[in-house]
Amino acid sequence: MLLLQQLVNSVMLGSVYVTVAVAFTLTIGILNFLNFTIPTLFMLAGMIGWALAERGLPFGLSGPLPWPLALLVAVAVAILASLVVERFTFRYLKARYGDATEHAIPLVSSLGFLLIIENLVRIAYGTDSQRFPGPEANLTVEIGGLFVRLPQIVSLVAVLAIVAALSLLLKRSRIGRGLRAIAENPDAATILGVDVNRIVPVVFVLTGLLCGLAGVLFAINYGEVSPAMGDDVGTKAIAGMVVGGLGSIWGAVAGGLIVGLTETMTINYFGADTVQVAVWGLLLLVLFVRPQGLFGHNAIGKGKL
Amino acid sequence: MGGYWSGILSILAINVIFAYGIFLPVATGQLNLGGAGFQALGAYVAAYLSYNYDWPVGATLPLAILVAGVVGFLVAFPILRLRGVYLVLGTFAFAEVVAGLILNSETLGGAMGLPVPAFVDYGVPIVLAALVTLFVFFLMSTRFGLVMRAVHDDEVVSDLMGVDIRGVKVAAFAIGAGLCGLAGGLYAHTFTYVEIQAFNALVSINVLLFVLLGGTQTAFGPLFGAAFFTLLPEALRILLPDLQQAVASLFGIKGEVRAPDDSWRFVILGLVTVLMMVFRPEGLVTRPLTEKLRPRRRARLAGGEVAA
Amino acid sequence: MTAPILSLDGVSKSFGGLDVISNVGFDVAAGGRTALIGPNGAGKTTLFNLIFGVYRQDSGAIRLEGRDISTVPSRRRIGLGMARSFQNIRLMPHLSVIENIMLGQQARANGLGAMLTPLSLFGRTKWRVEAEALLASMGLGTYPCEVVATLPYGIRKKIEVVRALAASPKLLLLDEPAAGLNPSETANLRDFLVEIADGGVTLLVVEHDMGFVRSLCDHAVVLNFGRKIYDGPTARVQDDPDVLEAYLGPRHAPAAAGEGAHAA
Repeated sequence: MLLLQQLVNSVMLGSVYVTVAVAFTLTIGILNFLNFTIPTLFMLAGMIGWALAERGLPFGLSGPLPWPLALLVAVAVAILASLVVERFTFRYLKARYGDATEHAIPLVSSLGFLLIIENLVRIAYGTDSQRFPGPEANLTVEIGGLFVRLPQIVSLVAVLAIVAALSLLLKRSRIGRGLRAIAENPDAATILGVDVNRIVPVVFVLTGLLCGLAGVLFAINYGEVSPAMGDDVGTKAIAGMVVGGLGSIWGAVAGGLIVGLTETMTINYFGADTVQVAVWGLLLLVLFVRPQGLFGHNAIGKGKL
Repeated sequence: MGGYWSGILSILAINVIFAYGIFLPVATGQLNLGGAGFQALGAYVAAYLSYNYDWPVGATLPLAILVAGVVGFLVAFPILRLRGVYLVLGTFAFAEVVAGLILNSETLGGAMGLPVPAFVDYGVPIVLAALVTLFVFFLMSTRFGLVMRAVHDDEVVSDLMGVDIRGVKVAAFAIGAGLCGLAGGLYAHTFTYVEIQAFNALVSINVLLFVLLGGTQTAFGPLFGAAFFTLLPEALRILLPDLQQAVASLFGIKGEVRAPDDSWRFVILGLVTVLMMVFRPEGLVTRPLTEKLRPRRRARLAGGEVAA
Repeated sequence: MTAPILSLDGVSKSFGGLDVISNVGFDVAAGGRTALIGPNGAGKTTLFNLIFGVYRQDSGAIRLEGRDISTVPSRRRIGLGMARSFQNIRLMPHLSVIENIMLGQQARANGLGAMLTPLSLFGRTKWRVEAEALLASMGLGTYPCEVVATLPYGIRKKIEVVRALAASPKLLLLDEPAAGLNPSETANLRDFLVEIADGGVTLLVVEHDMGFVRSLCDHAVVLNFGRKIYDGPTARVQDDPDVLEAYLGPRHAPAAAGEGAHAA
């Protein structure tokens, strides 16, 4: 029974990783771009949500907002921030000579944005953890002797619904077809009449949306936010993405859950300090033994970065 | 010289060595986002030997280079099979694993860290940084340096030209790892204390940015990058308090705000990074730039002769 | 007839079920100047890539001076005495002209000592002197320190040929060396290549410019859809019905052949 309870806990933990991992895998799969701002957007949503719910709008324009409204605005801010990132990474990207490191330009740019956003938040709100004044996180239901907190169930269902919707969007819609065409071959997509400049921002809107939701869910579930909250979740999400296979959405779902499980089990049996070794060791192992992950295609991300 | 400036000189020297350690693999087209891992290896080797066996600096530093270099050599074989995004992730994961292992090692002090009895003043790092700079310039002027840059530009053609691609990449990666180890050893002896939190992912990111923003086409790049981003925050220290207050009030916070000193430095580094990627993605110092400066110098000399 | 320096025997290669090279075999006579021609997509560049080991052939043998080199890794093939240029310029864009040429010498300079000798730090090494002389012989002496990416197309095209020569090959394979050059540059290139060939280097040249081919090469091999359709003297290529059909389509073949005969 204890093991089952652990399993339930790890699924809940994994659902946050899943959301962020899907954001990672989406940008890599479609744009071949490892977007390092993703953990920061996640953190930004959490911190903005907290600031609005606790302090209200900037410049003293309002008192503290009700938390659902605060979280809604927080997601919107994450999407906007993601679009700003798009404006300065992809718009100006013109590969000059097509050699190995110049294709890393968007990645490097996103590292720059990571530094900017994270440190601006630190400057504005300080470095400490903050308690999020959300709903009562202790609403617990008992299912067959297992204790599950209600917000966690809601989160898990929401995450799975979003991923399913996303996967449907990619498969069925016109935008989805355009995105997949870009993923296959950007030049050919342009020739086939896909407006790359208009469709690339869609990826970033989705990225912002996913990260924003993950940040909000995290704030509700754990009742605590901090400027450093993205670091841990971001790295676990990357691990989840690699395990699942770069570019595969359902791979990211499986990978995120596997990482959550690994983490919970490692803590259970070996203590908290070994989590880092276990998760990253798992990632290295997958990279060496099966770089395409459990579900990914071999081709993605292999080319020159 | 006061303690403040000697401290800055030491950090500058360490950063230059560290940047060259990352520059070598990047110059062959391999992004190494695991710099902190190799630096941590060097730092802990030096700290361990100094703390437990009272080894002098002259003995700990060579061993720091050796251990980091050998580990770099050993991980290079599996890691350099990876390309693109996978390589970035692999090196990143390597650094995390190293940090995790040290955190769990009781002999290395775990989360507590280790004190380092042997202290070095700024003289040693400065001399070593100068030597490393000369070494890298020498290396880049040899045929090895030539094929490194060739591999960066086009692996297929380099292979057909008879270049041992794997060998060049592994050698550059391992020598770079050794230099990162040296930077770590110097770090240990300069700050006389090591704790694993000082070798986090942000450190790897920063040093990679020094190198990429400085420019990877010539050995001048890392020197400029490291110097610029080490000295910039010191210049900002004078201007920042006012700026900080202004931003804080923008976010609706009244009264005195105490933000960590490092934050602004990172915001500026981030801004410069984004702007550089937009306007000059190949970095500050490029090959056409150094070649342009050369004839101009000659032309000026010739002009002087005419005037005389 | 001298012994062939390069001989292909029943070489085939397919990509994803598509036959790109089917059972191609021909000899390149030592000291000769052979042209490899054919319409776009005939498999000429693929054949070069097979000869240099970029891909392994599915079947058949590639022999250099009688030795089957099929199992020799791509990196070591240049050391056997052959060098090539590329159809799309594949110079290293961030290296200077002289450095690109010195890269061409790489096959002769492996070994730790050669790798760790500075090329131009303390005066000029023999490698540098040799590379400069080679550039000057092609009339490119004024460019040695320019970074390649900044140079015009025609000059880069020539540098490619010089880089291949820097390996001191016995057999030089050139992939469309005259493409994109103006008539006077083409004439210069032809004279230069004749000079090289007279110096004892065997040439195998892929080229579309038939005037260039006729004035340079004595022997021609024609490929179409991965098959060899002609192997004989350059002078008679245009009279061959298969060749005419390949280039002009089946209906034009007899008439065009008649015209050719008429003109002759």
